[in-house]
Amino acid sequence: MSETVAHYTLPPRPRTRGRVALIVLAVAGFTVLTCVPAIGGIDLDFGAIIRNWSNGSSILVQFLQPDFSFLPRTIEPMLETLQMALVGAFFAALISVPLTLWAAAPTNPNAISRRLVRAVINVVRAVPDLVYATVLVAMIGVGVLPGVITLFLFDIGIVVKLVSEAIDSADHHYMEAGRAAGGTQNQINRVTALPQTWPLFANQWLYTLELNVRISAILGIVGAGGIGRLLDERRAFYAYDDVSVIVLEILVVVILIEVFSNYLRRRLI
Amino acid sequence: MSTSVSARELGLALPPRPSRLAPTLTAVVVGVIVLWATAGLPIDWSDVGAIPGELLHYGTLMFADPNWEKLPRALFETWRSISMAWIGAILCVLVSIPLGMLAARGVGPVWLRLPLRGLFAVIRALPEVIIALLLLTVTGLTPFTGALALGIAGIGTQGKWVYETIESVQEGASEAVRAAGGGTAEVTRWALWPAAAPALMSFALYRFEINIRTSAVLGLVGAGGIGSMLANYTNFRQWDTVGMLLIVVVVATMTIDAISGAIRRRITQGARMRGARRSSKGRQDVVGIR
Repeated sequence: MSETVAHYTLPPRPRTRGRVALIVLAVAGFTVLTCVPAIGGIDLDFGAIIRNWSNGSSILVQFLQPDFSFLPRTIEPMLETLQMALVGAFFAALISVPLTLWAAAPTNPNAISRRLVRAVINVVRAVPDLVYATVLVAMIGVGVLPGVITLFLFDIGIVVKLVSEAIDSADHHYMEAGRAAGGTQNQINRVTALPQTWPLFANQWLYTLELNVRISAILGIVGAGGIGRLLDERRAFYAYDDVSVIVLEILVVVILIEVFSNYLRRRLI
Repeated sequence: MSTSVSARELGLALPPRPSRLAPTLTAVVVGVIVLWATAGLPIDWSDVGAIPGELLHYGTLMFADPNWEKLPRALFETWRSISMAWIGAILCVLVSIPLGMLAARGVGPVWLRLPLRGLFAVIRALPEVIIALLLLTVTGLTPFTGALALGIAGIGTQGKWVYETIESVQEGASEAVRAAGGGTAEVTRWALWPAAAPALMSFALYRFEINIRTSAVLGLVGAGGIGSMLANYTNFRQWDTVGMLLIVVVVATMTIDAISGAIRRRITQGARMRGARRSSKGRQDVVGIR
């Protein structure tokens, strides 16, 4: 048996050692740079955690004993959070339709307006949600309104990017038929592109609704309304038994919204 | 062609129009719920008309003449945020790959798989910032603890991606290893890992991109980095500096997204052949994710 094997010449092993070494070196180098405090890297100080631990463990003990008598006071802010999430998602959904059609190549042959919309959306997406909220709270004042605007901007970025990319990469037999029949771009978009795209939109709208519930739960930390404000307030008072009730409530609500949204998704798509 | 004849005149039976009742009802219900939610919010709607003017006013204050004096400091803080995101991503990936593999069907035993999946689901359901905030109150507010918090808060989603990737690996190689007498460990090392590694590495970089945004948010609540600087200057109402900081955040985030996205494409799709266009359809097959 071994004699027969000797007749075959094995293909040479692909030489990847040099490349792997280079990649490992690059990753290690980057990691080292991120750990140099002098240039802004972080200080890997394990001692501080151990020093904080005695303080932290008492918080943990308190956190593990939720005080459910606090629950009634959380109902109203939680409702406000859900309302914010819904209103933000709804208005974003309305605005996202024309913007998406503008941002996709098959539905908008004009390269200039398409690039412009895409560039604006990319910039909008690059700003983290709570950064919007912080700046807007400083501009408009503490309250629900900056929160809703934050959610609105955040949602538009997601829906327009994902749906316009999906339109770009799909095949467009119907649109070709529309063009062959002599339809204008507007007619083609309305009669062929939109009906094909509704399921994609519905999917992303539900997704933004889910995300909004999570985000609006934390917007209050910077003063933008909802349950986050109560959470931050109780945290500032070191009332961790109340904080734990709020966290449990957010957990339950997020899971319920996800179940509901998955059910709708199966029905719609 | 000139004389068009309708189907009815030819005596052809048209199919009945589909009922519009269900969509109409849905629209009405959604409309009522949205109206209720909008009306229920404590917003003074007369203020809303003034918002475009306000945004323009503050927009001019921020971006007409951004104050570049503090740029070196801003870059320093940006690097701190990037460091938090990077260390957090490494930590998250190092923990979630083994845990996620154990949670995959065919790798881990049931008694381990189900609790792990439950743990991932719970971490996933809570907003990352809340998990991080709670961890920070225990460990103290420093960039290092911020990185640890990012690492732990990301495990939920990352772990799910890992076990879904492992489960979507095709059976062939695993069967071959098993036929050659390999156990679960050998199957994981020689069949599952080589097939899943590109996707897992790509997800690791994606975690870094997500962490870039979350680390800025953690800075807002005091963990340090560009977020802390932004929160401070917003509180001081120094709009020209805030404008500069926002520009730095946007440019840094978009640059890192672009670089990381290019590396991810390189990992999952391989080197670009000269003179050949890559088909957009291949993307899904290579990643192997549903």
